[in-house]
Amino acid sequence: MQDLVSYLHFVVLPQMIDALIIGAALALVALGLTMIFGLLDVINLAHGDLYMLGGYAAFTLIGWGAGYWGALVLVPVVVAIVGWGLEELGIRPLLPRSDRAIVTLLLTFGVSLMLRDVAQVIWGTDTHAIEAPFTGIASFMQVFVPGYRLFVLGVGMLVILATWWLVYRTRIGAVLRAAAADPPMVASLGIPIRWVHGFTFMYGCGLAGLAGVLLSPIYAVFPTMGHDFLVMAFAVVIVGGMGSIVGAVVAALVLAQVQGLASLWIPPVWAETLVYGVMLLVLVVRPGGLFNRFGEA
Amino acid sequence: MVRADVANPLPGQVRRRSVGQRLMRALEPADMRPLRGFGLAMLVVAAVFPWVAGAFYTRLAIESLLLGTVALSVDVLLGYAGLLSLGQAAYFGLAAYISALMYLHVTQSFWLVMLAVVIAVGLFSFLLGIVAIRAKGVYFALITFSAAEILSKIAHNTREIGGSDGLIGIPVPSIPLLPGIGIDLHSDLAFYYFVLVGLVLLYLGVRRILDTAFGSVLRAIRDNPERVPYLGYNPFWYKLSAYVLSAQIAALGGLIYPLLRGFVAPHLLGFEVSTKAVVVSLVGGIGTLLGPLVGSVIITFLESFVGSYTERHLFVLGAIFVVFVLFLPDGLLGLTRRALAKRSGGRQ
Repeated sequence: MQDLVSYLHFVVLPQMIDALIIGAALALVALGLTMIFGLLDVINLAHGDLYMLGGYAAFTLIGWGAGYWGALVLVPVVVAIVGWGLEELGIRPLLPRSDRAIVTLLLTFGVSLMLRDVAQVIWGTDTHAIEAPFTGIASFMQVFVPGYRLFVLGVGMLVILATWWLVYRTRIGAVLRAAAADPPMVASLGIPIRWVHGFTFMYGCGLAGLAGVLLSPIYAVFPTMGHDFLVMAFAVVIVGGMGSIVGAVVAALVLAQVQGLASLWIPPVWAETLVYGVMLLVLVVRPGGLFNRFGEA
Repeated sequence: MVRADVANPLPGQVRRRSVGQRLMRALEPADMRPLRGFGLAMLVVAAVFPWVAGAFYTRLAIESLLLGTVALSVDVLLGYAGLLSLGQAAYFGLAAYISALMYLHVTQSFWLVMLAVVIAVGLFSFLLGIVAIRAKGVYFALITFSAAEILSKIAHNTREIGGSDGLIGIPVPSIPLLPGIGIDLHSDLAFYYFVLVGLVLLYLGVRRILDTAFGSVLRAIRDNPERVPYLGYNPFWYKLSAYVLSAQIAALGGLIYPLLRGFVAPHLLGFEVSTKAVVVSLVGGIGTLLGPLVGSVIITFLESFVGSYTERHLFVLGAIFVVFVLFLPDGLLGLTRRALAKRSGGRQ
């Protein structure tokens, strides 16, 4: 009994805390994906690369002397502007087409390949480490967590709550939800739907950039980071239900726990595979994901 | 004297065409008529190609034709059933791995290997297809994408099948056709014609299958998915059949691939092959079946050409992707078709 308690306390609990932190960052990326899908019907396959861009932009800005805190504020803005360019030049012209879900998917796939290669040209293929802005370890009941990880968790949770507040408690959010449900009606009420789309896309991309900065001191910055994270974010969005905000957050936290706990007992690479197994299982039971779409309910 | 069965065919006794006529018809579906000459011209070019080009380009051409099967499988799904699969490389790679493992450890018989591949890929695509097709729309693209990623990761992380290095040293067998007659794949020329003839037969076969009522139902599902069930067809089974069919098409390419390069590696299952297949179909022209094959040759040679100047072939691929999606959604064959149709006036 004593063994079990200490096992839970010293092995399982720290792992769960770690998974919680990854889950929060994952939720940020998945939130952007799901909002963009909910409003524009666009699956942004370049989202992972925007996350990567966030990491690299942080690396460069810190190198220029902006410091970590400067990067934390500036990077989401930079990535959001890149996202705005993508929306304005690439996606918007395709939105009126009836097969927009497929053509925009193809377009963002192409953009994703280009971004990855551009990143390799600018930053090379090496892994770049980024130093955490502060060190220090928090301890609570003999469980030790690096302070920076708690900070990531705090910021992640704060931004998730802010997003929830924005979407469900403000006038902007009411417009967003209405635009997801019935765009022609919203447009006929005099709301420029183009700006609504642009705003959503920028916001979603900004979140990906923010996740990129937040995680860069933990995982460092390397060329395939976006691709690896994107597949995981997809699993999250599929399980949560495409376009569902609550679903994205819940699924991110749950799947991160699944992966984190599973890697205690099986090799980490198989834990990742297990996550996809969970995803397939959810799809068998509920093909539309666990939660309702953004704008419905 | 008019034969009664021709003048007034009984039901089920429709006039039979000769084999030659049926082959020509397979090359000539109604909306593709202007392209028939184009397709035949391509075939002539392909037939004389290895005599003009050197060994390097002949082998590159074989590779482009093999990758063409993946593009063809993408086109069957996207152009006919309206399903975008981002994971067709899963079947190409799965077949390549099974084929490599069987040559290394089990048998040297090409036909036995082929049988194993057909069965394994059939089963796998059937099971995955059930999950992916039930989960409608864009989910289909994401699930196929993730499934291929999983397979690639498994191949990457399983030491028994070579891990990230893959499997090397696959022997090149000779393929017995008739008793006493075989194809020796050590000769590039023989290999090339073997693949070319195989691909032409595959193309004609697929064309034929999609010219039947089955193909019409698929197109109906693509164009108006809400209405088809009211006409008494269950879209699910049609889509699933199309999915299994397309998996087999890609698998046929994967079956041969290890014999060409002598190795298999996890990247064959991965997203780069899948993506390239989609780019290639897009460049060639979706829904034309011929386009993806032509596109595969063009893109593979272009990549080899670009690759000798710069390592940034992903960027080039992405840029081609973006340009075609935004400005040339019909692809090269769509353009050719329109140009030819315009020139021949209202002849069709």
